[in-house]
Amino acid sequence: MNYPVWELYTLGGGFWIALIAVVHVFVAHFAIGGGLFLVLTEKKGYRENSRQILDYTKKHAKFFMLLTLVFGAVTGVGIWFAISLVSPAATSRLIHTFVYFWAIEWVFFMAEIIAIFVYYYTFGKMQRDKHMLVGWLYFVFAWMSLFMINGIIAFMLSPGAWLETGNVWHAFFNPTFWPALFFRTFIALMLAGLYGFVTSSLIKDQDFREKMIRYCAKWLILPLAFLIISGFWYLSAVPEDAKAMILGRSPEIVPFFRAFIWLSIIILLGGLVFSIRMPGSIKRPLAFVLLFIGLLYMGSFEWMREAGRRPYVIYEYMYSNSIPVIMEQEINEKGILTLARWVENRELTEENMVQAGREIYNLQCSSCHSLDGPLNDIRPMTAKFGLYGMDSMLNGIGKLYDYMPRFMGTRQERLALAHYIVEDIHGKKIKESVPIETPAFEFDIPPFDPDRDEYVLLAWNNLGLKCITDCDDYWSLLPPGNTLFAQLIRRDFLPEIVLDGVVITYKVQEGFENPADHVAFWDYSESLIGIELPRNISKSGLGMQGEFKLNDELMAFIASGIPVVPYADDGTINPCPFIHVEAVDKNTGEVLARTKTVAPVSAEMGCKTCHGGEWRVQGRMGISAETASDVLRLHDKRNKTDLMTRAQAGNPVLCQSCHPDPLLNATGDPELLNMPAALHGFHVHYLTERQGAEACNACHPSDPDSLTDCKRGVHATTINLDCTSCHGTLEDHTLTLLKGEYEKGKTERAGRLMKHIQPRLVASLDEINPRTPWHQQPDCLTCHQDFGIPRSHEVSAFNVWNEHESELYRLRSDYMGLMCQSCHGATHAEYPAVNKYGLDRDNVQPMQYQGEPYAIGANNNCAVCHTMDMDFEAHHPGMLDGTRNRRGPN
Amino acid sequence: MDPSGLIPVADSIPTHWGWFYFFLILTFILHLLLMNTMLGTGIISLVRHIKKSNAPCPVCKDISIKLPYKIAFTINFGVAPLLFLQVLYGQFHYVSSIMMGVYWLSVVGILIIMYYSAYIYDFKYDQWPGLRLYFLALMVVLALVIAFFFSNNMTIMLNPEKWTGYFDNRSGTMLNFGDPTLIPRYLHFVVASIAVGGLFMAITWKFKQDPEATLYIDQGMNWFSYATLVQIGVGLWFLISLPQEIMLLFMGGSTLHTGIFLLGLLGVTMILVFGFKKMVWPTTAGLVLTVTFMVLMRDLVRNAYLAQYYHPSERTVVPEYAPLFIFLVVFILGLGAVAYMLKLAFEAGKEA
Repeated sequence: MNYPVWELYTLGGGFWIALIAVVHVFVAHFAIGGGLFLVLTEKKGYRENSRQILDYTKKHAKFFMLLTLVFGAVTGVGIWFAISLVSPAATSRLIHTFVYFWAIEWVFFMAEIIAIFVYYYTFGKMQRDKHMLVGWLYFVFAWMSLFMINGIIAFMLSPGAWLETGNVWHAFFNPTFWPALFFRTFIALMLAGLYGFVTSSLIKDQDFREKMIRYCAKWLILPLAFLIISGFWYLSAVPEDAKAMILGRSPEIVPFFRAFIWLSIIILLGGLVFSIRMPGSIKRPLAFVLLFIGLLYMGSFEWMREAGRRPYVIYEYMYSNSIPVIMEQEINEKGILTLARWVENRELTEENMVQAGREIYNLQCSSCHSLDGPLNDIRPMTAKFGLYGMDSMLNGIGKLYDYMPRFMGTRQERLALAHYIVEDIHGKKIKESVPIETPAFEFDIPPFDPDRDEYVLLAWNNLGLKCITDCDDYWSLLPPGNTLFAQLIRRDFLPEIVLDGVVITYKVQEGFENPADHVAFWDYSESLIGIELPRNISKSGLGMQGEFKLNDELMAFIASGIPVVPYADDGTINPCPFIHVEAVDKNTGEVLARTKTVAPVSAEMGCKTCHGGEWRVQGRMGISAETASDVLRLHDKRNKTDLMTRAQAGNPVLCQSCHPDPLLNATGDPELLNMPAALHGFHVHYLTERQGAEACNACHPSDPDSLTDCKRGVHATTINLDCTSCHGTLEDHTLTLLKGEYEKGKTERAGRLMKHIQPRLVASLDEINPRTPWHQQPDCLTCHQDFGIPRSHEVSAFNVWNEHESELYRLRSDYMGLMCQSCHGATHAEYPAVNKYGLDRDNVQPMQYQGEPYAIGANNNCAVCHTMDMDFEAHHPGMLDGTRNRRGPN
Repeated sequence: MDPSGLIPVADSIPTHWGWFYFFLILTFILHLLLMNTMLGTGIISLVRHIKKSNAPCPVCKDISIKLPYKIAFTINFGVAPLLFLQVLYGQFHYVSSIMMGVYWLSVVGILIIMYYSAYIYDFKYDQWPGLRLYFLALMVVLALVIAFFFSNNMTIMLNPEKWTGYFDNRSGTMLNFGDPTLIPRYLHFVVASIAVGGLFMAITWKFKQDPEATLYIDQGMNWFSYATLVQIGVGLWFLISLPQEIMLLFMGGSTLHTGIFLLGLLGVTMILVFGFKKMVWPTTAGLVLTVTFMVLMRDLVRNAYLAQYYHPSERTVVPEYAPLFIFLVVFILGLGAVAYMLKLAFEAGKEA
C-alpha cells in the first residue's frame, strides 16, 4: 500500500519471482553441494592416483564455475530485483531487519568467487594439499552463504518469537531455520550428483564413464534418506496453519506435495537406472532428463514452501499483497483508497467505480493473481460471477479458506472491485434488476353456503413454500414432496372435528399430474434415495392424487409427500398450483365438503448468483447443469468428495445422505454438521453485514421482485416485517444452528465455521440460544404475548425457541383441537396473504367460508363453524378483539 | 498532487545511519572503479580489434583473460552498495525501480548474456579470431545498456515530482528522458570508464616483462588523459544540467558542497598532469582520490535533490548492533582468507 503497483497482468501473480527463484535455487544449491563434490572427487583422484579422475574434476570445475558464477550468481541478484519490484514493502522489511546478515553473506560470496577462480585456474599447478584446501574453503564459504540466506528465507515462513520481541536473533534463528538448513544441505548434495551425471555422461571412455556415473549416483542417492527425514523435521517445525495448508488444506498445494513424493521415488529409481551400463548415446540425453527432473523436484519443494506461507509473505506480519497485518482493521474502517499512497481515485463516485476497482485490484489481488497468465489467472476464477455474486465472493474470501487474505476496505470499495472484475475484466454489462412480471392465473373460489352446508373443510400446505432442487441429475437437496394438512369440521353450536367415517382426498390442479416429465428426480431416485420410485409417486407412496391419512394425535388428516413441481405440462411456470381437497363420507360416498389450497413449490433457489449459470427453465427458475456442476466441483475440492464423478456416472447423491437433516428424517453421517447448519454455516461468510432480508433473498426465493416471492403473509406484506424480525440476520440465524451442533459435540466442524462470524442482534455468542433446525423455530407468542398485539413494530422473535417440536406453529393446536394453521394459514402465507399470481390465491378458504381474506372466524365471524356468534374466547385469548390488519387504507 | 504524499514510509534502521552511509560510499567507490575497469578495457579492446582487423593484439588478449574476473567483481561489489542504498533510500529506489520495472528486471537477463559473452570472448579468443569481436561488442553494448538503465533508475528516484507519471504509465516502461541530467550523468560514467580502462591497461603492462610494454603503457595513459579531458567537459555539462539551486550549492552556495567540488577539481587537475606525464602510480593514487570526491559529490547531489523530503539522518534507529560487529569480524576474517588464497594462487602461478 506504500508503493506503486507494477501492472503486469499476464506475467503477474508472482511469475517472475517463481521463474527466477526456482532456476536460481536449482543452480545455487548445486553451487554448494557441487563444491564438496569437487574437493572430494579431487581427493579421490589423488587417492586412486588417477589422472582420469583429476582431468574429469578439472573439467567439471570449469563447468561448475561457468554455471554458478554467471547464471547462479546473477539469478540470485535477479530474485532480489524481482522481489523489489513485486513486493517492495516485504523486501524493505527484510532488508532493514537483516542488512548486516546480508552483508555477512556478501563476504562469503566474495570469498567464494575468489576461491573458485583460484581453484579452477590453479588446478594442476598448485601443490595438492594447498589446492584441496582452496576447494574446502570454497565449500565452507558456499555453505556459510547458504547458512545466511537460509535464516532469512526461513524467517519469512516462521518468524517465531520475533513477532513478539522484534529481536533479530529470534528472527534469524527461527523455528524452521535448522531443519531447513539440513534439508537444503542434503538437497545440495543430491544435486551435486545430478549435475555430476551430466558431466560424467560426456566422458568418452565408457568404463571410466560408468565408474564416475556410479560415483555420482552415490551422491544422488545416499543423501535422499536424510533428506526425507529432515523433511519430516522441517514440516513439524512449520507454523500450524502453514503445515495444514501444505498437508492439504490448500488444494492448490496438493499436486506439488504429491509431485515431491513421487519425484523422490523417481529420482531414486532414476539414479539406480542411470547406474546401469548403457551406451553414451543414451546416457547423455538421459542425464539431462534426470537433471530436468531435479529441477522439478527442487521447484516442487520451493513451491510448497512459498504456497504454504499463504496468505502471508512474512508470516502473521505481512500479507502476500504487502498489507501489514496490523493495518487490516484500520483499512476496513477508513478504506484502502484512503490509506494507500499511490491511488488516483481516492473518493468513490458513480463514474469511477471501475477505475477505483482497478486500483484496488492492483493493491490487493495482483500480487498473486495474473490475468490471462499462468499463475492463478483471475479470469477463469471469476468468470461465473455477476456483480452481486462477485461482491459476495469478495465478502467471504480469506475467512474459511485462509490461504488468501480477506478483502480489506469499505463495502463500497469491495463493490468497486467487483465492478472492475465483472465489467472491465469480463466485459459484462451490469443489468438493472427489474421486477419480474408475473401473470395472474385465473381461479375461482369453491362455493360455500353458510345456511345449508354442514361441513367446513380446512386444508393447507404446512409450509408457506416448499422449495425443490430440480438438478437431480447432479444432486438433490430438496426432493419434491409437499405436505398437506386437513381438518374437517362439522358445523354446529359446538362443532366437531370429524375424524371417523370420512375419507379426505386430494387431487392436483390439472396440468400438474406429471412432475416426472419436468424434473429428473424419478430418473435418479434409486441413486438419490435408494428406492426406484414409480413415476410421479413420492417416497411416502403418494402421487398427484390420493388420500389423506388420519393423525389421531393432531386430530388432523395429513397427506405427506405430494411430489408437486412448479412446472405445468403446458409449459407454464406456476409456483402456486392448487390441490383440490374433498371430504367424502366413507360409507355413502357423499361429498361432504370440498375446497382447495395452494401447494406452493419453487425451484427459484439463488445458487447461480455465485455458482454461475442461468436459470434452467425458460430463463426464469430452476438450477441449471452449469450451476449444479459448479456446486459439486467446489464441494469436491473443499471437502475431498467425489460427487461430480458420481453424478457423471449417473449416480447423483442426496445431500442428506451425508448431512443429517430433520426435514427429511435423515440421519446421514452423525459426525457431519446437519444440512441447515452446514449450508448456512458455510455460505454466511459470503453474505455478512447485509441489511434486512438481503442475505436471505440471495438464496431463498423471498425477494418481492422474484418470480416466487415466498414471504407473502400478513407479516411480510401488511406489517412490512422481513425475515430478520423472526429469524435474525443471517449471522445470527447461522450461529443458532452452529451453536446447536457445537453443543452436540461437533466442536471442530462447527467451531471452524463460527470463528469468523459475529452475532448482530445479541451482544455475544454466549447469548445465542442454540437450536435444532426444523424442530425449533421462532414462535408467534414471543411477539404476540398472550396472543395480543406486539408491544411495538420493532419486536423480534429471534433467539426464543420452542422446546418441543409439537409446539411449532405448524404443529400446534388451540384449546379445542383446531390446528393454528387451519384458521390462520400456512407459515409465511398467513391470512391475509398477498399472492403474485392472484391476490387471494393463498386465501381461498377465508374467501370461501366468509368472503374475507382474514383468519377463519375473524371479525367475530364465529358462525363459519359455530353457525352463530360466540362470546367466549375458547380457541385463544384476544380472538374477539377484531381484525387489526385489514386490507386497504386503515 | 503533492509528491511527498507518494513517498513511502521508511522502515527503521538497526544502527546509526552513518554506518550505512560509510558502507554505501565505500562500496560504491570500489564498484565504480571495478565497473570502469570492466567497461573501459572492454571498449579499448573493441576499438583496438576494429582498428587492427584480426591482427594479433596482446593488449586485447590480456584484457580478454581478465574480463570475466572484472565482471564477477563488479557484480559482487555492485550488490553491496545496492544493499546499503536500499537501507537508506529504499523508499525512493523501489519506487523508481517499479516505474521502470520492465527495463530494471531485464537487467538480469541482459547481464547474464553480457557475462557469458565475455566468457566466450575469453575462452574462444584464440580459436575464433573473426567471431570474437562480436562477442566483445555484444558485451560492451549490453554493459552500456545496463548502465543506461541504472542512470535512469538513479535519476527517477531523485525526482518525486516526476512520480505522478506513474498514473499515466503503470506498465513499468517509464524512462527519464525528460530529465536534462540523464544523458550527461550517463556519459560521465561511460567516459570515466574509458579513462580508467586506459589507466588499468597502463598498470597491467607495468607488471609485464614485454618488449612492447612501454608502448602499451603509453597508449593506456593516452586513453586515460584524453578521456579525462573529455570527462571535464561532460562533467561540466552534468553540473550545469542540474537544477539551478543544486548547481549553485557547488558554486559557492555551500561551503561543504563547493569544497568537495573544488577538491574534486583539484584531483582532476592532478591526474591530468600526471596522466599526460605518463606517471602511472601517481595517476592511480590521484584517480582513487578524485573518484572518492566525485562519489561524495554525487551523494551531496542526491541529498540536495531530496532535501525537501528526506535526509538519512532522520531515520528511526531501533538499535541492534551485534550483527554489525559480527559482520565486521567476518569481513576481516574473509579478507584474511581471500588474501591467503590469492597468496597461494600467486605462488602456484610462480611455480608453474
